[in-house]
Amino acid sequence: MTDRRKLESGVLVLAVFSALLIVPPLVYIFNHPILVFGLPQIVVYLFVVWALMVTATAILTRHLPRASDQDEHVGND
Amino acid sequence: MLSADFVIATAIVYVGLLFVLAYFGDRHTRANKSSFLRHPAVYTLSISVYCTSWTFYGAVGNAARGGLEFLTIYLGPTIVFVGWWFVLRKLVRIGRMQAITSIADLLSSRYGKSSRLAVLVTLIAVIGITPYIALQLKAITASIQAVAESAEGARGSLAGVDDGALAFGIAAGMALFTILFGTRNVDAKEQHHGVVAAIAFEAVVKLAALLAVGIFVTFGLGGGFEAIYRGAEAAGIAIYEEDPFGPRWVAMTVLSAAAIICLPRQFQITVVENANEDHLRVAGWAFPAYLLLMSVFTLPIALYGMTVMPPGANPDMFVLTLPLSEGQSGIALFAFIGGFSSATSMIIVASIALSIMVSNHIIMPIILRSSNVGQGDGQDVRRLLLLSRRVSIGLILTLGFLYFSLTGDDALAPIGLISFAGVAQFLPAILAGLYWREASQRGAASGIFVGFVVWAWTMFLPSFETVVPWVADVMERGPWGIGYLRPENLFGLNGLDPLVHSVFWSLLLNSVFLVLGSLLSSQSALERIQAAAFVDVFRRRPFAHRGFMPGSATANDLYFVAERVLGEKRAAALFEAAAEERGVEPAMLEPTPEFISRLERELAGSIGSASAHVMLAKVVAGGDVSLEEMMQMADETQQVIEYSQELEKTSAELRVTARKLEDANAQLRELDSQKDEFLSQVSHEVRTPMTSIRSFSEILMEPGDLNEGQRQRFISTIHNESLRLTRLLDEILDLSALERGERSWQNTPVDGEEALDRAIGVCDALLRQKGIRVEFGERAHTTMVEGDSDRLCQVFINLISNAVKYNDANDPVVQISSSVRSGHYVVDVADNGPGISKSERKMIFEKFWRGVEGGGDQGGAGLGLAISRQIVARMNGTLELVPGPLPGACFRVRIPVVK
Repeated sequence: MTDRRKLESGVLVLAVFSALLIVPPLVYIFNHPILVFGLPQIVVYLFVVWALMVTATAILTRHLPRASDQDEHVGND
Repeated sequence: MLSADFVIATAIVYVGLLFVLAYFGDRHTRANKSSFLRHPAVYTLSISVYCTSWTFYGAVGNAARGGLEFLTIYLGPTIVFVGWWFVLRKLVRIGRMQAITSIADLLSSRYGKSSRLAVLVTLIAVIGITPYIALQLKAITASIQAVAESAEGARGSLAGVDDGALAFGIAAGMALFTILFGTRNVDAKEQHHGVVAAIAFEAVVKLAALLAVGIFVTFGLGGGFEAIYRGAEAAGIAIYEEDPFGPRWVAMTVLSAAAIICLPRQFQITVVENANEDHLRVAGWAFPAYLLLMSVFTLPIALYGMTVMPPGANPDMFVLTLPLSEGQSGIALFAFIGGFSSATSMIIVASIALSIMVSNHIIMPIILRSSNVGQGDGQDVRRLLLLSRRVSIGLILTLGFLYFSLTGDDALAPIGLISFAGVAQFLPAILAGLYWREASQRGAASGIFVGFVVWAWTMFLPSFETVVPWVADVMERGPWGIGYLRPENLFGLNGLDPLVHSVFWSLLLNSVFLVLGSLLSSQSALERIQAAAFVDVFRRRPFAHRGFMPGSATANDLYFVAERVLGEKRAAALFEAAAEERGVEPAMLEPTPEFISRLERELAGSIGSASAHVMLAKVVAGGDVSLEEMMQMADETQQVIEYSQELEKTSAELRVTARKLEDANAQLRELDSQKDEFLSQVSHEVRTPMTSIRSFSEILMEPGDLNEGQRQRFISTIHNESLRLTRLLDEILDLSALERGERSWQNTPVDGEEALDRAIGVCDALLRQKGIRVEFGERAHTTMVEGDSDRLCQVFINLISNAVKYNDANDPVVQISSSVRSGHYVVDVADNGPGISKSERKMIFEKFWRGVEGGGDQGGAGLGLAISRQIVARMNGTLELVPGPLPGACFRVRIPVVK
């Protein structure tokens, strides 16, 4: 149960942090007029954050319980 | 070279292909339960109906005009899917439990199956989505026109046909197609497997097309990402934006996050068409990945287009016009099909979703109320349902077309944002419905209504500014000249971007009314049941809430209703299954509350919960009264459960406390009896010398013939007895002080051996007197221990004198040895006396214990060992009885050595 609670908190933290990373003020850190790999820094930053969100969600989801597993103990969560 | 006729023909063929796909997809999924079309990938792809021609064409246009801003449309949904575990999973679970058919049904169902709320939501959804459908018509029209203008003679049969007529043709074609496509039957759960399969196919087509164009433009024409940025910079295009992250960025992210939940078509695909909750596990990361892929080439295409295309070229069409201008007919055709795919998928799903809402919540209730279904005048509800859906689809596309022809020549993205902001008005009511039990129907309805009005005033109305003169006037000066109500400067709020302004006011007032309305109104019984069923959907077993008591309904009445809505076959199957479960003939089936509520759910799956409720209420009399009772019962049960949990917790606490008290009590009793024992022993000990003192003094007091010698003896006895008494009292005081933890000395490092030698010296006379031999065993050398020399000596004297006193052997021996073992100074005093019997071993350190075996008066008060043990304990050591080298007792003192 505790592990599952932690995972759920992990999903929440991931969602909140993802949101924080793409809105001001944090985005300003990466909004300088310089090129990274030939692209504006902010473009690279946004796409990298995006890809990381996808990866992190895929990894976290693997550990979350399936709906079909839960039906046996409805009422415990 | 592409011609308009050719692309139109291709589009028609493509639509035919979709139809075939949908048809066989439907048959395939019906025929086998584990069809590959039930795979989570298909579900994920169908969710990408989110990417319409706004994404396909409009995103590039948006990027060309507004830079990075286009990304917010995809980042918002990404956040929602990253957190799928919280909102989407709950929505899907509720959708399954309650047989939800649309977003209007969801809100109506949550807020007490309210028909009024369902009507309100449906109307807002239709109005809100109208611009969005217009956007798709506009995109298809523009793409055909782009092909037509790409070369001389490409216009073909379109010559002389203007945008309006073309759009009308497209809208009519789309309506026909969607009617054929989506309203072939009324499904139990309002699921359209065939449509989903076709949408998933379209998702693949549009992704492949956009990637093909992106790769062609970026690598074929532009020479890679870097080269495109360099070229754009050289052409004087600002590749670094001043500040793209203003309020507009945040507002658009919020809007798109709201849209992925609230758009009727997204709700249809994500919640209603969901076949398995676990599909969300894949969609949670795969849908954001899809969005990412769709967005990778947007900026390069926009930049390259701006660099090479003539000024004034419409950036919304770059995806199509770039390949066209290069003469790449193949890629251009693929791009056209991709754009067409994205537009058709949106139109199909959106109009199906909206038509379900319109027919279930507006048309059906009117018919149900005006005619008595239970009486059955030959009217087939199913046919009526399908007809009303078809009419609704026509109506919705007509509205879209009207909006298209009325509004000005806007870019694609701003039109879409109007729709987003419109449907976002559902978000507060949905979130409150999922997480806030107290949210009430009044609150939800007033919030949504106010939000809608504000949206219509601040965003929908201004979109007519360029075509309707009075709108421009209102925007300039306010209605009736009231400047405070100017649509884009509401309540005098100036200086905000119009989008931010509208989103801010509409969502703020929406939420305020929702919260205040909920707090100021009270929920009906049904509302409370539904609120609990929604908020606690994961917590409790899906308890069969019984909306109706059997009342006057017979199985026949119910069958009649079911047959009309579900069709003969499904109704018969449902009743037969129920009869079989009960083990009776279908004709003999008694309608139990469970059966009626199951029937209601089945009906709700076809016509929405509010209509199903109304319909059954007509047949089943007395529903409302029993519902109140049910509610009370449910409430009471809930209260009893909570109360008993509370009690259980309290009683567990009480049990613990009681056990502690018992223990404490036992300890106190033990102490009390010890005290009594001690007192009686002390009294006894004191009484013996006192008795002799008293009797001798009485003899002395009487005048008699006592000689001097006798008198002297008596007095000395009295003296000795009083000395003994004093010693006894001293020892008691000493012991009680030691037991209280007090110490009359300071622990300092002293030599243990010196104390032992001194003790042996003191006992020397005693030993000699008794004729006892002293043997010395091993002796430690000077060993420093933490303690008091005199007290330590006292302990040794006590031990040696005990060994002497109780020794009645013929050849009495006392053996004394000392050593240092594992950091302790150890002294053993052993004798060859009678030893201490097993039963007494526990007792010897008790107060007033005197050896029995030794017999007679040994002159001590029996406190010696008790005191010695306390003294050694205060030096952090121990005094124990151990098996010794001699037959008698052996006492061992262990005290830690000072390092």
